[in-house]
Amino acid sequence: MKLLKKLFIVSLVSTIAISGCRKLNIAPTDRFSSLTFWTVNANVYNALYNNYSLIYNDGLYFNEEAYSDNAFSSSGDLTVIPSGNATAATATFANDWSNYYSCIKSCNEFLANIGQNTTLPKDTIARLIAETRFIRAYEHFNLTNWYGDVPLVTNDITPDESKVIPRTPKAQVVSFILSELDAAIPDLPTKDQLPASQNGRITKGAALALEARVLLYQGNRMADVVTVCQKLINDQADYGTYSLNANYTDLFSNATVNKTNSETILSLQYVPTIRTWQDFWDFAPLSVGGRVSGMSPTEELVEDYVMLNGKGITDAGSGYDINNPYVNRDPRLTATVVYDGYQWNSEGGVNGTNKTIYIKPGSDPSDTPANPNGPDEYVGGRQSSSPTGYYWRKYFDPTAQINYVSGLNLHLFRYAEILLDYAEAENSLGQMNATIWNGTIGALRTRAGFTDPNALAYPGPGDITTIIRRERRAELALEGLRTDDIRRWKTSEVVLNGYAHGARFSGDLSTDNGYIRAQKRTFNANRDYLWAIPSGDVSLDKNLTQNPGY
Amino acid sequence: MYKNFTDFICSKQPCCIRKPLLVMKLTLILLTATFLQVSAATYAQKVTLKLKKATIREVFEKIQAQTSYDFLYNAEDLKLAKPVTLNLENTTLKEALDVCFNNQPLIYVIENTTILITKKPVVPIEKAVKKTIRGKVTDTSGMPLPGVTVREGNTQNAVTTDKDGNYNISVADGAVLQFSFVGFALQEIPVGNDLMINVRLKEINTDLNEVVVVGYGTQNRANINGAISTVGAKDIGDKPVLNAFQALQGESPNLIIQQNTLDPGSNVVVNIRGVGTTGNNDPLLVIDGIVSQSSSSLNTINPNDIASVTILKDAGSAAIYGSRAANGVILVTTKSGKLNQKPTVTYNGSYGLQVPDVLVKKVSASDNAYYKNEALVNSGLPPAYTPEQIQQIASEGTGTWDINHLVYNAPQQSQNISVTGGGETNSYFVSAGYQDQMSNFIGNGGSGANFGYQKYNLRLNQTSIIGKFKFNAILNYTKSRNKTNSVGDNNIIADANRVPANYNWQDAQGDYLTNPVASQYNEYGVLEKGGFNQADNDEIFGNLNGTLTIIKGLTLTGVFGGTLDNNGSFYDRKEVDYIPEGVYGNDFAVIDGNAKSELFNTQIYANYAKDIKDHHFNVTLGVSSESYSERGFQLSKSMTDPLLGTSTTGTIIDPVNSTNSIAVSANSLLSAYGRANYDYKHRYFLDFVFRVDGSSEFAPGKRTGFFPSVNAGWLITDESFMQQFRNVLSSLKLKASYGVLGNQNVTDYQYQTTYFNYASAYGFNNVPVGGAGTYQSNPNLTWERAATFNLGADFSLFNDKLTGSFNYFNKITSDILQAPSDIPLIYGAGPADANVAKVKDQGWEAEVTYTLRSKKVTQSFSANIANDKNTLLQLTGNATQEIDNEDVFQLIRKVGQPITEYYGYETNGFYQNQADINNSPKPAGAVVGVGDVKFKDLNGDGVINAQDKTELGNPFPQYTFGFTYRIAYAGFDLTVFIQGVGKRDEFLRGELVEPYQANYGATLYEHQTDFWTPENTDARFPRLAISGSASNTNNWQNGSNLFEFNAAYARLKNVNLGYSLPKSLTKKIGIEKARISLIGQNLATITSLKFVDPETSEFGNNVALNSTSTSGRGYLLPIFYGMGLDLTF
Repeated sequence: MKLLKKLFIVSLVSTIAISGCRKLNIAPTDRFSSLTFWTVNANVYNALYNNYSLIYNDGLYFNEEAYSDNAFSSSGDLTVIPSGNATAATATFANDWSNYYSCIKSCNEFLANIGQNTTLPKDTIARLIAETRFIRAYEHFNLTNWYGDVPLVTNDITPDESKVIPRTPKAQVVSFILSELDAAIPDLPTKDQLPASQNGRITKGAALALEARVLLYQGNRMADVVTVCQKLINDQADYGTYSLNANYTDLFSNATVNKTNSETILSLQYVPTIRTWQDFWDFAPLSVGGRVSGMSPTEELVEDYVMLNGKGITDAGSGYDINNPYVNRDPRLTATVVYDGYQWNSEGGVNGTNKTIYIKPGSDPSDTPANPNGPDEYVGGRQSSSPTGYYWRKYFDPTAQINYVSGLNLHLFRYAEILLDYAEAENSLGQMNATIWNGTIGALRTRAGFTDPNALAYPGPGDITTIIRRERRAELALEGLRTDDIRRWKTSEVVLNGYAHGARFSGDLSTDNGYIRAQKRTFNANRDYLWAIPSGDVSLDKNLTQNPGY
Repeated sequence: MYKNFTDFICSKQPCCIRKPLLVMKLTLILLTATFLQVSAATYAQKVTLKLKKATIREVFEKIQAQTSYDFLYNAEDLKLAKPVTLNLENTTLKEALDVCFNNQPLIYVIENTTILITKKPVVPIEKAVKKTIRGKVTDTSGMPLPGVTVREGNTQNAVTTDKDGNYNISVADGAVLQFSFVGFALQEIPVGNDLMINVRLKEINTDLNEVVVVGYGTQNRANINGAISTVGAKDIGDKPVLNAFQALQGESPNLIIQQNTLDPGSNVVVNIRGVGTTGNNDPLLVIDGIVSQSSSSLNTINPNDIASVTILKDAGSAAIYGSRAANGVILVTTKSGKLNQKPTVTYNGSYGLQVPDVLVKKVSASDNAYYKNEALVNSGLPPAYTPEQIQQIASEGTGTWDINHLVYNAPQQSQNISVTGGGETNSYFVSAGYQDQMSNFIGNGGSGANFGYQKYNLRLNQTSIIGKFKFNAILNYTKSRNKTNSVGDNNIIADANRVPANYNWQDAQGDYLTNPVASQYNEYGVLEKGGFNQADNDEIFGNLNGTLTIIKGLTLTGVFGGTLDNNGSFYDRKEVDYIPEGVYGNDFAVIDGNAKSELFNTQIYANYAKDIKDHHFNVTLGVSSESYSERGFQLSKSMTDPLLGTSTTGTIIDPVNSTNSIAVSANSLLSAYGRANYDYKHRYFLDFVFRVDGSSEFAPGKRTGFFPSVNAGWLITDESFMQQFRNVLSSLKLKASYGVLGNQNVTDYQYQTTYFNYASAYGFNNVPVGGAGTYQSNPNLTWERAATFNLGADFSLFNDKLTGSFNYFNKITSDILQAPSDIPLIYGAGPADANVAKVKDQGWEAEVTYTLRSKKVTQSFSANIANDKNTLLQLTGNATQEIDNEDVFQLIRKVGQPITEYYGYETNGFYQNQADINNSPKPAGAVVGVGDVKFKDLNGDGVINAQDKTELGNPFPQYTFGFTYRIAYAGFDLTVFIQGVGKRDEFLRGELVEPYQANYGATLYEHQTDFWTPENTDARFPRLAISGSASNTNNWQNGSNLFEFNAAYARLKNVNLGYSLPKSLTKKIGIEKARISLIGQNLATITSLKFVDPETSEFGNNVALNSTSTSGRGYLLPIFYGMGLDLTF
């Protein structure tokens, strides 16, 4: 008995000692604390790459298209925003805003803490800082582009600071962006200095390309656009060697060219099977592995591709045949859009087969009375097939995994854009000439596959603004820049008012000549050139004002 | 009289023949007896003895002088005798002798007229003199009670009464007889000289003497001053459910149990007294004294192993669990053996079929085509179908593409066996259980068993008493496996529902078909061949505890226990090809994962009980330490072997979702606690309870919390002025408590900024690079505090036939731990949790039981009902509201209102004519027609815009109730259990609500046909219009109470009809008790919500604004029909 009693007490005390006195200070075993994190060089790089990962994403990249006259999507805010029914509570406004400010937060944390690292070489740290400042500037650019005046966040703010931060006038945001880029350029390498393993890192060229875009978008800085573009075009020894890739399609679909070419200035980087995007699953026709039609090209986009002779389809003598609309067109149409009768080539990939795509109702040879509509045919209200009668081809990845899981890069800045920026700036300054044309639009058309001298020769003198804008649309379709363009040209109120159309398959020739009415769109010029500041933030940050009309 | 006399002698005989000397003497006596003719009457001769410190021999001489008796003795023996002082007047001889021999080392035996004196034998207890006691046991009305256990004291010696209530038991002299019978108060009668003991047992209509587990000890129910409910084994074990929470639903007022999905093996949402915080509302779960990490730990317990569940609702009772008790505490006690109980083997099993309750019915395909035309025309578009085509569709009839063809009547069974018993110093309970609930979905995913949930339990509870030390060991092992489909219930239900009725899952060749609506998946094929998702759980629970009685009333208890959990998951997606287009699972994804956790809890506490006259004290003081840690890993691959799922050429490892450290967390808690109970005359009660906790969740300086409570009670019916009412009001106790409790439920480590590295953040040149992220911190984090005031009454009426209790509470929770909701997105990161909000939760609960017994029939009615209302007092800082988009409608948190409410426009009927349209305010830009929804212009500014939105109700269940009726008659017994919610609003969205929703839904359902037409102007829904049309935009894209449904319901949850075979029959084959039963579950429901089960909730436990809205795509309610068998050996 006594022994038992003693045994009991001893066992109690020992169990307490073993398990009971666990410390209340518990450090996580799968994470770093703030004391040690920044001193480890590999962690600094990881923090940098976190900034990179937040630059932009495939969703932002492709969704932009649906807000423009290039495409129509029947899903969620992609429908609501172009319909004109968006409000300050529209989720996309908050989501995109949040995306950009998350990246800014990550950059500011990086800039605030990298000083704790004492083991990396000074010039390496300078470069990492320059890359991060580029990213932070790019995010602010996107913000000011969509929302106008926005809070300029240049340090790692606390929750309390975020509740009182005011909007900074757009001009000030833009000048901050430009000064940041100017400051970053000396510390960045040129494209030519990058070892292959760093292919995709931010370069002097990328900073200049962003500068060019920022300046172009301001509308009143065309001379500066010219200056910056000329650096990229003429001072390639200092800023990196860029040129057009010989093949347009390969830039978007050839797994090798997409990653390594002389034209890309900066791309969103993906890695096959590991870091991937899958948007094309909802872009491709159902018969070649598509899931549903998530977003599809409009008739308006298709119509803007010129004829092989360089004329617009409505120009006199264009040779356009409304009953055979897809022949003799800018080769980039076929490189971008899938239309009725399209010869789909899977290029040996696991998605799709080589086949003809039948979109016109009743055209599919497999149609039977029991199954009257082939999978890709236009049927009003059907989810699985395109509501416009068009599908996308650009960015088709023959090397994608099943269900279009792709590791192709998405281009943020291409040399082609610099040429278009340059042409537009020179033209708006009244300085366009045959030499500039040949180096820009002419070069792009040649590369696209035009051979007709009428298409390649300088069409001036005279106003060639429409030609340059059309060229920009054709070259850059599905690269997320169209909304920016129609906003800065102030043409949104024209092209986003009225119906977005699809192909001429509605069957009712009395309405819009038989073109499908995909969506009735409304654009309020007094409001819609800027997105609403998210209503949530307006209510939480007392110094945050709203854009007009929301 | 004579009979008694001889009996008396005979019963003494065995002890008289121990010694040879005695045998000789006895022979002499017997000889003498034959010579002397005496009557029995002489025994009654009276004596008068007045002696002071006389020798015993003097006493003998006096007696001899007054009676005809002689004494026979050994003179040597008389030397041992003590002096005697007597003062007896006219006393019977026997009484005189008894007094005289009291405390003497001698005994006497009367043989005829001789009184034989011998030395008192030194007899061990087991050799004690035995008596045979007979008697009859009846109830208070005099009806015999068969089956009553009659036990000798604390021994294993027990018999039961026969059919006439008679018993016959042989017991030691001086023993105490215990009479026990279910439903009757235990009665103890000391054995005196009477050999016939007739007993009237009193029925128990009150549970005031029930011993209730209250945390670190037990209390008599009568002494409890807090709001405590208990649920017994009978209310749990009778139900055909695998999850103990499901068995608890409706059994206790304000124990609110809801489910997101009824899929076998899924978790439930548990609230005590509703939702009282915007943070975590999970109650604390304590199993056999060991504090669990999460309330879902109850899932693994076999409901049949539960002996009782105590629910601590108020601060007064829950304060002993301090920092985590703010949401109440659920104490589960599992079954154990009893000392001195003969071994009993119990088997109970049930088997039955679950019939899935398919509520959604599509209209016929031809009707659908007709309606679709109407929708198109209403939308200004040409009709899609010609009359000929509609004829054609009608002639095709109905296909198989619906839910009915994806489900079957799945079996469910439960098999349990237990052995229990106990001796003088030890007791045991051993049980094994197997429970199997098959999924109602067809198929097995292509291999292995069909979808379903299985659970295996093994439990051992052993107690040993070693002197003053009691040692108890509880061990439980649970193995469970839950196999579900690989695509998700929601997808299956949605795809089955949204396709018009004329399509088929398969063609004549058995190929899986797709169609223009469901072009992606054929769920029939996915269920049959598309792989599966399997969760395997192994859990070991152990509790070793010992109690040492140091001195009378003072005990010291040590407890060491914990849980080891191993959770495995295996997801395997297989390819299914469709005709004419489409394929599922051709990425052959396989995800293997495992997580282990360990929880340890050590406690030492002392309890001291002391009564000083009418003052009763009971004090408990203790310390405890808890620690928890978990760690897991996961491996995710695709393009695996199509059959085996193993790695093969071309297999791709997904580096983002493959990680060797997931769910890594740890926390610990060091505590001291105490409870002091005091009462005076069991009439005035006062308790003080406290706990001090130190938690690893908070920074030093913020981590220690003190949580006190004070309780008072007054048994008013004990007062003399109440005696006049006692014949009606048997007892009434008033109770009040006030206390402050805590809640520390936050993600670990949040007070420190931490950084994590992760794989494949980005890539350069086709090579992935890692990234690093930051967890934001808040060094100021500390406890959430809930101050609760409780006022209650326990009462019983009409001689305890009607018993009940009522409690009112008011709880204010402040410093609520949640992510602050006033941080703009500009901050750029999810802010760390902080102590931000404040919520009031006010309500009441009542329960009442009425027991009615007649000679043949016993009936009882139990009802409970409860209500609570929460109010948001503070959101975060000065923010007064937060709105979150919930698909087409919104959710709002607004100060002064219930913490989560639906938000949007209020509808105002439909536009009935053009004048109505012209005169009514409309949303900006809306183009509407007759039959479209009209909204209320609440601010009267002539336009419908965000300023007209308002709160449209809340999802909190109110007036939750349960009702149990039991009746027993002649071997038959019946239990009927009804449970429900008196008031609840639910917003539903999706294809089941909005016709042809987003072009995703392609058919109409019968419940949607009540739409506006010129002939049906008082419809539930607006006129039909297709997605994207102006009408659809107005009607369905402006969140309004068009989406609101009344989810109140009453459900016949459980019916159990049993018949116990006559014991006379079963005894012959060695069975103590045999009962067969018919069991039904979810047999009928009264609700106005016809197409979605009203019991399933769209919300998790904190009713967060970002909860997903429900589209009514949940697993179907299983209606169970089965049989049960209970055997006791």
